[in-house]
Amino acid sequence: MIDSGIDRRDFLKVLGWSGAAVALSGCGNTSIEDGKETVVSYVEANDYMVPGIGVYFNSTCAQCDAGCSINGRIREGRVLKLEGNPDSAINKGKLCGLGQAGVQHHYNPDRVREPLLRKGNKGEAISWDKAYALIAEKMAGVQGDEIALLSGGVSGHLKVLLGNYLDSLNTKNHFVYEAVAPGVVRAANQKAYGVEMPRYRLDKAKVILSFGADFLGAWVSPVHFSQQYAQFRKGVDGQRGVLVQVESKMTLTGANADRWLAVKPGTEGVLALGIINALGTAAGEVADLVKEYSLVRVSRETGVSVSQIEKVTALLKMRSPSLVLAGSAAEGYAHGSQNAAAINLLNQVLGNVGKTIEAPVSVPFPQMVPSKGNTAALKKFNDGLSAGKYKVVFSFGANPVFTAPGAFKFKDNFAKAGFKVAFAHYLDETALQADLVLPLDSALEDWGTQVPEYLTEGAQINIQQPLMEKLHANTRGVGDIVLALLKQKKSEEYKSYEDYYAYLRSALLQNKGALGGGGADDDTFWTDTLSRGIVKLAGSAVGLTGHQNVAGLKLPAVAEENEHYPLYLIPGVTASLRDGRHTNQPWLQESPDPLTTIVWDSWVEIHPKKATELGIVEGDIVEVTSRTGSVKAQVYIFPGIHPEAVSIPVGRGHDAMGRYAKGYGVNPFQIMDAVFEVETGELAMHETRVKIHKTGQRVLVVKDEGAAGALQMGRKIASRVSTDQIDLSKEV
Amino acid sequence: MSVSNLLENWAQVRHEHPINDKPHDPYKWAMAIDLDACTGCNACSVACYAENNLPVVGREKFQHGQQMHWMRVERYWDEDGREFPDQGFQFLPMMMCQQCEAAPCETVCPVAATNHTADGLNSQIYNRCIGSRYCSANCPFKVRYFNWYDYPTTDNVWPAEMTQQLNPDVSVRGKGVMEKCTFCVQRLSAAKVVAKGEGRIVREGEVQTACQQACPTGAISFGNLVNPESRVHKQWEAQQVVLDKDKQEKDEKEERAVLRGYRILEELRAYPSVMYLERVRESAV
Repeated sequence: MIDSGIDRRDFLKVLGWSGAAVALSGCGNTSIEDGKETVVSYVEANDYMVPGIGVYFNSTCAQCDAGCSINGRIREGRVLKLEGNPDSAINKGKLCGLGQAGVQHHYNPDRVREPLLRKGNKGEAISWDKAYALIAEKMAGVQGDEIALLSGGVSGHLKVLLGNYLDSLNTKNHFVYEAVAPGVVRAANQKAYGVEMPRYRLDKAKVILSFGADFLGAWVSPVHFSQQYAQFRKGVDGQRGVLVQVESKMTLTGANADRWLAVKPGTEGVLALGIINALGTAAGEVADLVKEYSLVRVSRETGVSVSQIEKVTALLKMRSPSLVLAGSAAEGYAHGSQNAAAINLLNQVLGNVGKTIEAPVSVPFPQMVPSKGNTAALKKFNDGLSAGKYKVVFSFGANPVFTAPGAFKFKDNFAKAGFKVAFAHYLDETALQADLVLPLDSALEDWGTQVPEYLTEGAQINIQQPLMEKLHANTRGVGDIVLALLKQKKSEEYKSYEDYYAYLRSALLQNKGALGGGGADDDTFWTDTLSRGIVKLAGSAVGLTGHQNVAGLKLPAVAEENEHYPLYLIPGVTASLRDGRHTNQPWLQESPDPLTTIVWDSWVEIHPKKATELGIVEGDIVEVTSRTGSVKAQVYIFPGIHPEAVSIPVGRGHDAMGRYAKGYGVNPFQIMDAVFEVETGELAMHETRVKIHKTGQRVLVVKDEGAAGALQMGRKIASRVSTDQIDLSKEV
Repeated sequence: MSVSNLLENWAQVRHEHPINDKPHDPYKWAMAIDLDACTGCNACSVACYAENNLPVVGREKFQHGQQMHWMRVERYWDEDGREFPDQGFQFLPMMMCQQCEAAPCETVCPVAATNHTADGLNSQIYNRCIGSRYCSANCPFKVRYFNWYDYPTTDNVWPAEMTQQLNPDVSVRGKGVMEKCTFCVQRLSAAKVVAKGEGRIVREGEVQTACQQACPTGAISFGNLVNPESRVHKQWEAQQVVLDKDKQEKDEKEERAVLRGYRILEELRAYPSVMYLERVRESAV
């Protein structure tokens, strides 16, 4: 496949090699030891490397699925820093903290370096040949439906190749699982708009009413939304956009709202219908549906004052277009679909569909669009495991032993599978339960293509390419592993591909015309594509339907008080830790939580009123008990939470995954009940009820805020001004 | 530097701006930070760790107040005793070295390790610093960070492969040295060298600080305050914030100013080089 004199991999080797020689660090590049490569002195260095000058290569961020394009700074063959690629319509040169910490995933000292085979409680290093032979041996005589694959979201050529492999095994058991995913909102959007994820135009909206969508923090495509948010604040025609956030626990987005409304957990839909009623513009069946929702009733059920609902309604009437968002707080209940439907109906009544809710574009290669992860898939997988259906199980890109709700007893069920293979970067909780662990290249060493779920201007295929030579000789790219396994089944078909790189190159070149490289010769097109890091495609707009069916919309009566477990448990999803897959990156551990400023630990957020009632002060260790289990953690008194709820952030509480993750904090997934959303079967993450009691211990909370807490003590440090006192139109 | 030498040559190592004999020419680096655009996401802070080789100190040292983040996102509640913070937080993005023109830290340094550069930065000379920590004590913003440990040799700060991430343009500090935000001076120097080679001054937009580059909402602008074309210059001018005033004329007026530019603790007469723009909140809801 590769016939040019020097290809990109050779070039990276050169880069890595001389870097090692110059830095005199040895730096673990084992290619020195096997002596296969040529030392290139600086005297005759290639023109892409200038000693002491950083060069930049484009790739794609793999820290979450938003698909931001990155621009890696490389000096003397080492990747130093990740920055945003300005040419990407998604992140336009910007990058969040999580994305920037990607270098600490790559350089992490706790990466798995050799294939490991279980010997009792230990892993024994084996060769790749032996590992592949072992998989082939275990597969012999196993039926297709006795094989299962659990993965995180996959897209691009990896998805195609995986699909081919599963077909060759004659199995349909591919479970795509993401612990934190907008599964219910996708289904509700499909019903209301005809698409799972329309294109939200925050920048065009004059008012955003968000029901728990943390679009600045951890929701869908936060860097993109943050940029739109900046536009929204600058305003259309000089009128600054107004953000109203409705949720039971303040998120980063809520902390930036003009008005934050603490709503009783689960009553988001009631408030949405109440606002439709108060607007008074709906007719026909919509009017019939909402007429029961008088201001007084809505206020009583949601806890939001009548005057506040009136103000929000007046604002929505006055300023159009607006945008109403349904986020994870609204969808996390057993009636999440109904909540989301009510919220989507509000959008429709306000006439936002087609204005701030636009049709997304479709990717011209449907086989490459992402398989989106959700939690219903985990349930199915867990049920299968529990029934002992699977003889061979593969897992990668997810850590279900850590993120499955405690009530699933996932770890026990996982043990029932015959032979468990995990492709892993680190020995996380799931890899520790596997029989065979195959070490993966880091995201900065691997080849790949990715198609983001949330596309912005036009369709695009993101290119992932190595930013430096491999740190460890015995790791492999996930594509290489799948290709090797596929060759076991269909050697004739795939023998021409030496590796995944060759497959990828050939696959892209075959579609050169459709990818916009019509006239160019192969090498030019390929180099061009790699240097850009993005293939932009026209893509055609998908039609929006914009009709929320009212017939099926019925909100349940407000949940009764639970005598034994009086409080709601709200799992907090933070921008930097998400579901905990990157907790071992020390920059993220030491990056203070924006709302509480706590580092390196978990906490239980409690409203001051509730804390007083229970006699709890900051730093008290409390036991939080649900039907499923209990955890103990320090209390942080936090006014941004409903008094009937407590919140514990997810992502910490690992008992594996290396020195930076293990032993810090607690894992609230462990005490999560198995309650499901009625229509979609997704896990209802906000339905767990808990009780708390003091253990009598108290600790000093490790946090960044000073002794004055969050008070300015009368000084003008962070100042605020209201819109009626200011004229923004003359600003630079 | 001996004490006698220091006393004799004090005027040379001390350089306070603005003074007439050495005006800001051709550079005066300054910032403007829009609190209304800042969301408190911490991308700037992580960018700073990556760019400037900041050590991650770990839980225990953090508890002792030995964290090394050059910039911190502060946030405040309203102080009116409401049940809920229903207007959100007030984020103060980036409390970092304000690069004061008359910096309180500079006057107290016994060895002149921290002093003023001609382009208006408050610089820290690591190999001159003896670790008295007077500067930190005298800093009203509490943005100076002291190396209580030798982080390069401390367990799990930069183990094995992690050393390869270190930015070669920035020195890794050892034990006993004070450090702080430099406005990414390594980037400024590189840009100035390039510009000088071409016989011009650094253009607007040619150099970005790491925090500015990362910020998803573009809340941070940075540039040369004496360049009338720079965004920073225009913002300061539009907001009527004057660098060498400790009381701005606009604040003296009876009516509430319709401008939102301000500097923190301006009354202390440190003349900070960072202007913040007040957060705006809608009055209609």
